[in-house]
Amino acid sequence: MDADSDVALDILITNVVCVFRTRCHLNLRKIALEGANVIYKRDVGKVLMKLRKPRITATIWSSGKVICTGATSEEEAKFGARRLARSLQKLGFQVIFTDFKVVNVLAVCNMPFEIRLPEFTKNNRSHASYEPELHPAVCYRIKSLRATLQIFSTGSITVTGPNVKAVASAVEQIYPFVFESRK
Amino acid sequence: MAHSSPVPELYKSIIEDVIEGVRELFAEEGVEEQVLKDLKQLWETKVTQSRATEGFFKHSHCSPRFSLQLPHSSHSVLQTSAASYVIQAGRGFQHFTAAKLGPPRVGVTLALPSCVAYPLQMPAGVMLQPAPGQLYKVNVPVVVTQASGDGSILHYPVQQMFHPLGQASVLQASVASVTQLNASAAHAAGETLQPQETALQQAVLYKPSYVEKQHVENSATLVQQPSVSVQEYEINAVLNQCSESTEKFQHDNLHTAVFTPECSEGLFIDESLASSSSGVLLDVEGQLDMEHPELLQQQVSDDIIDLIIAGERLDENTFLKDQGSVASSDKVEPAEQAESSLPLEKDLCSDIEGISQLDGTGDVSSKEQIPHTKDKEENEFIGFIDSEDLRVLDDEEDYDEECDSSSNIESSGSDGDNEDLQIDIVEEDPLNSGDDVSEQDIADLFDTDNVIVCQYEKIHRTKNKWKFYLKDGVMSIEGKDHVFAKATGDAEW
Repeated sequence: MDADSDVALDILITNVVCVFRTRCHLNLRKIALEGANVIYKRDVGKVLMKLRKPRITATIWSSGKVICTGATSEEEAKFGARRLARSLQKLGFQVIFTDFKVVNVLAVCNMPFEIRLPEFTKNNRSHASYEPELHPAVCYRIKSLRATLQIFSTGSITVTGPNVKAVASAVEQIYPFVFESRK
Repeated sequence: MAHSSPVPELYKSIIEDVIEGVRELFAEEGVEEQVLKDLKQLWETKVTQSRATEGFFKHSHCSPRFSLQLPHSSHSVLQTSAASYVIQAGRGFQHFTAAKLGPPRVGVTLALPSCVAYPLQMPAGVMLQPAPGQLYKVNVPVVVTQASGDGSILHYPVQQMFHPLGQASVLQASVASVTQLNASAAHAAGETLQPQETALQQAVLYKPSYVEKQHVENSATLVQQPSVSVQEYEINAVLNQCSESTEKFQHDNLHTAVFTPECSEGLFIDESLASSSSGVLLDVEGQLDMEHPELLQQQVSDDIIDLIIAGERLDENTFLKDQGSVASSDKVEPAEQAESSLPLEKDLCSDIEGISQLDGTGDVSSKEQIPHTKDKEENEFIGFIDSEDLRVLDDEEDYDEECDSSSNIESSGSDGDNEDLQIDIVEEDPLNSGDDVSEQDIADLFDTDNVIVCQYEKIHRTKNKWKFYLKDGVMSIEGKDHVFAKATGDAEW
């Protein structure tokens, strides 16, 4: 009756967020003037640089910290981040690609069944929180994995976690519980 | 009524304004008048050669100036005057046209060829219709007297109307203009500085008339349009009285107006010097910000010098000006522009590169976000110094990071594991110089020749959909120039 531990579900990674440092001060104005595909947000002190190839958007601070969003896989995120550092290097900054870290992975998963949320919440009070008046999904946290799942009554689940592995295991963990409360 | 392209007129007016504006400065500097003439000739040649605009005619420097004197009379159609005009036209001035205007405008717009050598007597508000069917609408009553020599074109607010008509010359005038002329003549007798707004308005509307295609030699054509106010007549009257000083004064006014803070870049493709008239690229329709005329006046001479001298730094100037004009207050603008136009970062960078500083700003410890006040330049210096220092300090480990074994990596340039907390293996691969990580595969894929230089009202983006709301611009599309007052656009990135 319980689901297999091996769930043949399609987990779609929609977003991977990573950071890296360039270990050098970046002149935002110079980037804004000479860089390609940049948006200068002077009021908040950021430069957004968008890349086409891995379609990512990077937020660059003058301190040298760069946050890279929009990638669809961890490898792609790293690839894109390196490309970005590359282009910064080409602009003349002594960029060193350090501290690359994937900080967040957002994935979507679809259950082949619908879920009864109130029942699910009752069974999982320790980890689940459900406020239908605020948000139509149950928010289920897995502390060990540091992952958060949002479970909708349609069976669609949104998972966010620190890396792809955590996300995958989170889905695996939740499957049996969700399966219990299916319609 | 079909209007011809306003671009040639606009360019002409810009050229005139600039030349007149710098005439004084040239004289002060001891530069000959001939140089100024050559400059103007060169400019016009370039514009014509660039074929960026059609129907552009050079002004001849040696053509006699012309001022048209109209006796104050009531509405009447002066056949005689028309006849005399026709005669003049017969001298080869066939573009000299006039047409009946439905609603008679206030004033007279007059276009005169330089080759006309005798004063013309025309009633106020006279409209002439040239033979080949082009219309010059005379809106302002003008006093035309032949002035000697010098190439100073009388500047009048101008509205040219080209209308293919084959009618005989018909002159129509409005009494009001006549009356106004009288009043203004008296009023402007003292050559007092007219209200800046007026001058600005005139400047906006000013376009020196010009001869049609075949007639390049025309420099004295006057096309005036007083759609604005009485002050135009004042100018006329003033001009009548003392041509040189008046004109100069006018030119100052106009030039003042020209350099309004909206210094959008006036890019004439071949002419970097045209940048000095960037302010003239206000929209032809008459949008004009007249916020700080006093600043403008101060700005005029500064800008002229700066822009003419630093012609090749046009882009940077313009960019800086745009930033300044957009972001900061008007008071700050001239300061910023004056400052930023001269100390160009590129030059400064090259100077700084020889300096290596090990501490202070050269300290490469990671900083928090540097406050972005007006200390942009300071930050820029820091950035450049840092990049230089990093090269010099290759072997020095000055970093005080929270995590740092990265310093080893930097110096050696080889792989090493960064032992950050909870981080997956971070390989410090040196960024291959153009090897694997191919940057900018789409490098300059849209490096087209179609350029728009304008000011923006709003630029909006949602995801990768961009919307543009632009104003006051000039475009070079397929080599042809166009101007616009407003433009909107959509694009996808």
